[in-house]
Amino acid sequence: MSRNSVKWLPAIVVPVVIVAGVLAVPLQAGAAVDLPDKTPEQVLLMFSDSTVNAFSGTVEKTAELGLPDIDLGAGMAGSMGESTSESAPEGTAEPGAAATGALASVMELFSGSHTARVYVDGSDAGGPAKARVQIQDRMAERNVVSNGTDVWAYDSETNTASHLAIPADARATAQAKIAEMAATAPADLSTPSQVADRFLSEIDPSTTVSVGTDGTVAGRTAYELVLTPKATQTLIESVSISVDSETGVPLQVTVRAAGQEDPAFQVGFTEVDFSTPSADLFDFTPPAGATVEEVALPVMPEMPADEPKPEIPAENVPVVTGTGWDAIVEVPAASVPSELSANPMLSELATAVDGGQLFSTALVNVFLADDGRVFAGSVPVELLQAAADAQ
Amino acid sequence: MSSNSVPLTNTNTNTNTNTNTSTNTGPSPSPSRRRSAGLALLGSELTVLFRRRRTWAMLVAVALIPILLAVAVRLSSETLAPGEGPPFLDRVTQNGLFVAFTAMIVAIPLFLPLTIGVVAGDTIAGEAGLGTLRYLLVAPAGRVRLLLVKYAGVAVFCLAATLTLAVAGTLIGAALFPVGPVTLLSGDVISVPESLLRSALISLYVTVSLLGFAAIGLFISTLTDVPVGAMAATVVVSVVAQILDVLPQLEWLHPWLFSHYWLGFADLLRQPMDLGSFGDNALLQLGYIAVFGALAYGRFSTKDILS
Repeated sequence: MSRNSVKWLPAIVVPVVIVAGVLAVPLQAGAAVDLPDKTPEQVLLMFSDSTVNAFSGTVEKTAELGLPDIDLGAGMAGSMGESTSESAPEGTAEPGAAATGALASVMELFSGSHTARVYVDGSDAGGPAKARVQIQDRMAERNVVSNGTDVWAYDSETNTASHLAIPADARATAQAKIAEMAATAPADLSTPSQVADRFLSEIDPSTTVSVGTDGTVAGRTAYELVLTPKATQTLIESVSISVDSETGVPLQVTVRAAGQEDPAFQVGFTEVDFSTPSADLFDFTPPAGATVEEVALPVMPEMPADEPKPEIPAENVPVVTGTGWDAIVEVPAASVPSELSANPMLSELATAVDGGQLFSTALVNVFLADDGRVFAGSVPVELLQAAADAQ
Repeated sequence: MSSNSVPLTNTNTNTNTNTNTSTNTGPSPSPSRRRSAGLALLGSELTVLFRRRRTWAMLVAVALIPILLAVAVRLSSETLAPGEGPPFLDRVTQNGLFVAFTAMIVAIPLFLPLTIGVVAGDTIAGEAGLGTLRYLLVAPAGRVRLLLVKYAGVAVFCLAATLTLAVAGTLIGAALFPVGPVTLLSGDVISVPESLLRSALISLYVTVSLLGFAAIGLFISTLTDVPVGAMAATVVVSVVAQILDVLPQLEWLHPWLFSHYWLGFADLLRQPMDLGSFGDNALLQLGYIAVFGALAYGRFSTKDILS
């Protein structure tokens, strides 16, 4: 019998070894990082002094905002298809459809997790920066490729490519504008360290800035810059930014919500490589058989600085109460787009509360009052209701 | 446990006699089988496996998936909108090479696990059911070696099944539809030879993805003397794993399920190829092989062989 017990030994030892290994690997990765101490200002400086202009890597985004985890893409496509075929003649785009689509893609960003591969090459000092983002879906992929003069977006599921040509002078104009803004900036902001100083003193009344525990992100040692709200009445617990200890590149941003263990929102590298990515990644030609759409760059109307801006009626201007993390934005009923309040998806996500409807997430509450006004803020819903009652 | 007392020099003659007898007796290996070299045992195991009519029937059924798919698309006059139906199905009419990819996606959830469940569930239980297991063990093969050889046989069948699917898909696609450069998920286009290479890599990826499942089948097969029971249980395990894999409440469990990366071969259709998931997958499958291999060893080496 004891001989037989020995033969069962591997069946016990192997799982134990595997479990031990699974538990030990993340511990090992998290432990034993001790970087030379730095002040928040020094970490900010590392970030602004960073000279990295080419990298590639895998970025992972997770959101735990308490939103229902539904397949938004499929649901939207289905309902859009139905409504189009029922109410609109063929070939006519429904006006609400675009808004709904945009809402769905915003919602997608803030729910679930996504993985994307990112390639950036700005090493050619004279030329434009090139970039490619590949959002990996199940059996599908969405690509955005920019080589400086052309931007292509390709969706493998629908096999459509969209093309946007960047006018040759757009970059020059943008650079000129930046130079102009830099020239008009206050004199004490001429060096990065002054900018860092200014930034820290600006946010000091509302926020505590500290350097958190050194850690590892994407296999690289990183400083953690933690912004903690001083306000007590806010849903946000902290925002932390991990900065690579060697290059000063921000590797990860984490937003934590009060009373929630997992980060409410996190985006960061799981793999990063600071070598210049291969140039042919940025050459994109739409594949044969794909539907190609031309997209025009939205034209910004030239507006002379001294001409008064078009008047917005005073009662339509959103009002912000408070200045820090617990600020509340009030949007008057008149300027709430009707598609928003009539959107079936929104009413599905909202819950009825005293005096209106509440769209609640871990980080932001949106209160749709019965009279049409909308209140939003990173505060508990009671404060939003109080703000609505106050006026 | 039997000892390896037979001199190596006898191996060749015995292999020959055994191959001859196994041809005649079909699934049951000859009782006179005596060998010490594992390779010879493996050779015999593979010969037996691939001379069974059942194995061929399953491979033909696997090959029928892309053939049916391609013929259905060819005969239908309806053109699919992009994104409709299984992935890539709408591309098939423009490029026959997509038949293999679509067929792989269609076959992975049920059909491939079913055939592998049959082969893996049959490994030990099948011999026990036929009453040939004790003869196998009378020969100085050793229980560990027999387990290893049986497992290797299942692994070879996995590869054969996925390659059959890819080859049949490519051939029928080329026969019925135009063939040209293939558009990857990233929108980049690769040449026909490179696409064939990727097809082969996908077969390998899927084979590796199925190895953990094959180890589970081997373990279940050591538990019983009724091969049909082992096959059914193995197939049920694959279905359960896939159901667990779609429940959002069990998200923490998903990366640990052996079926989690079954459709991960999409990463080979990106440009540049994403090998990150392949590494995770290989580690995961190794873990399953180690755990269920150890369990199978514990069970099989302590089992009283009565048949």
